[in-house]
Amino acid sequence: MTTALLLVGCVAIWAFLAWDAPIDRYQGVIQKILYVHVPMAIGTYLGFVCTALGGALYLWKGDERWDRFALSSAEIGVLFAVLMLISGPIWAKGTWGKWWSWDLRLTVTLLLFFVYVAYLLLRSFTEGSERAARFAAVYGIAGIALIPLNYFAIKIAAGRSIHPENLGGDSLGAGMRWPFLMGMVAMVAVFAFLLVRRMEIGRLRAEQSRRRALAGREEAPWASS
Amino acid sequence: MWLAVARGQRVSQAAHAIEARGLTRHFGPLVALHPLDLDVPCGSTLAVLGPNGAGKSTLLRLIAGLARPSAGTIHFGATGHEGPADDRMARRRRIGLIGHATFLYPALTARENLILAGRLWSVDDPEARATELLEEQDLRAAADRTVGGFSRGMAQRVAIARALVHDPAILLLDEPFTGLDPTAADRLTEQLAAARDGGRTAMLVTHDLSRAAALASRTLILHHGVARSLAPDALSCRESLDAAYREAIASPAPS
Amino acid sequence: MKILWTLLWKDLLTEWRSRDRLVAMLVFALLVVVVLYFAAPPGQGDTAREHIPGLLWVAYVFTIVLGLSRSFGMELENEALSGLALAPVDRGWIFLGKAGANLALVLIMQAVTAFAFALAFDLNLWPIALPLAAVAFLGAVGLCSLGTLFSAMAVRTTNREMILPLLMLPLMVPVVLGAVQATRGLIAEGTVPFSALQLLLVTDGVFLIVSFLGFEYVLDE
Repeated sequence: MTTALLLVGCVAIWAFLAWDAPIDRYQGVIQKILYVHVPMAIGTYLGFVCTALGGALYLWKGDERWDRFALSSAEIGVLFAVLMLISGPIWAKGTWGKWWSWDLRLTVTLLLFFVYVAYLLLRSFTEGSERAARFAAVYGIAGIALIPLNYFAIKIAAGRSIHPENLGGDSLGAGMRWPFLMGMVAMVAVFAFLLVRRMEIGRLRAEQSRRRALAGREEAPWASS
Repeated sequence: MWLAVARGQRVSQAAHAIEARGLTRHFGPLVALHPLDLDVPCGSTLAVLGPNGAGKSTLLRLIAGLARPSAGTIHFGATGHEGPADDRMARRRRIGLIGHATFLYPALTARENLILAGRLWSVDDPEARATELLEEQDLRAAADRTVGGFSRGMAQRVAIARALVHDPAILLLDEPFTGLDPTAADRLTEQLAAARDGGRTAMLVTHDLSRAAALASRTLILHHGVARSLAPDALSCRESLDAAYREAIASPAPS
Repeated sequence: MKILWTLLWKDLLTEWRSRDRLVAMLVFALLVVVVLYFAAPPGQGDTAREHIPGLLWVAYVFTIVLGLSRSFGMELENEALSGLALAPVDRGWIFLGKAGANLALVLIMQAVTAFAFALAFDLNLWPIALPLAAVAFLGAVGLCSLGTLFSAMAVRTTNREMILPLLMLPLMVPVVLGAVQATRGLIAEGTVPFSALQLLLVTDGVFLIVSFLGFEYVLDE
């Protein structure tokens, strides 16, 4: 209950600050997408890094909780990525005048999004939860190796970028920093909240199917050959 | 190599070739094998019996290292002539598995399949060993035909030869009589008896109670993934084993 | 090392006996070249010619995805892969053997496709045949290493034909980028840009290491 209140509080403050923030002199009101877009991007990367990390720890320790951590992170990461891929082009259309640009950061993120969608598909196509977990862990780790490679690759291939390079405090106008930082805090809180809940669901599901299997086994004794 | 194994095992009669503790396997939610403690003494043949789906093949695959246990440990007693007993490579070198599947490449001939296995197990002279095994399994005429065209019984004979290529100290046999004609089945029984008398350890999964009674020195019955042992005197003849088996699987499944 | 040759011998002998995978790959690659010709006919201008290296690699990538999807097919009949897993052989060798056999098939396919491509698009590739082969080889190493790892996974999923391209394509991008850059440099100026070469080598290295290490977890049940 308290966590829920805390969460709602965080998001409410974030929304208020974003509402209250000054309107950008050049871009107009559309610049406020910043307060949504950047936290979503951070959440996406956080999700995917956690997926690879959880996968690596699962392979190492063999504890299925790490697998649930990886799976939950991937799902949340994909969710954030979808929101980012929606908010980004809207902002881009408003400021750059086009929905999409094949620049470095956009391309890498898009590829990463595909990698983790494939990750989720791989899991749903693999039978036997333990094998699914192992395959997915390997794929998740391979996926994260893609980030540096792709940055390298696309830098060579494409070169120029119109996406802002860094978003430190300096590049933000007066009054924009607090809503921006609050967005980060709220996003991390939402991420952690979703992660914990999703892991709990995973645990309950595993528990339920285990019980169901036991119960079914008692009701229907196997025919002897 | 084979004599060394036999001698080593005779000296330490009490040693266990296989020691499993709390061995468990889940397939997702399904429990294929409940925690199982198992000791197989060196030089003994253990018959593993039970209805279909009882977890017999799962047990063999776990011991062979083809599947990972969800919990529990397996130790392989030292046979005195190889490196650390629990080293994975040493385990693989020591085990011969005849599985449900034949493990053969259909596009290769019987001889090539055996040579491949011989090279994988670093047998001294794979070509000679392959010829020897083909003779043993009465496959000389079919040796240079591709396995893809073989009947189940002939393929099974190649599979048996493949499992024996490195003269393993521990034989894991999952229904090895599948598809064999009576002559070949008798020959395999003889070979297994000879192996047992020579001090090799074996686990034999079968539905053929008379062959089990003839070969085994102990029995393990798996039912719903739970193991129970039978009194040794059940093995005195086929009828007593049959009666004991029926009694064991008639009891209700544990929760 | 002897084990690697043994495994390669087994794979290549099997491939040679049936030949259906190689033939399927070659026919598919040639069909892709034909389709590409009609989809993007080479114009006279330089801009149209600029796309040719990309088109060549499109043909390569699609054919490799198709070909690798069957690379563990023969291992599944009779569970031969389990039989391999039983052997006292390092999993790394099993991976390298399989990847090596795949690489051999892919190299043949690449040579034939490049030849057909040159005919279709009226290119003279002879003067740059050797460096082009080297670039194709470097690209194939990267594609085959991850591809072998993923096909070992895909073959044991329920939707194996669908999942392999989805797994492979997003991760193939750095290799494809490097290879296309290198090929473009070769066709335009006769030299391979250093940055492209560097990219190919780095990705090959990373992918080889990842697949080599990952294979152990994919092979065991």
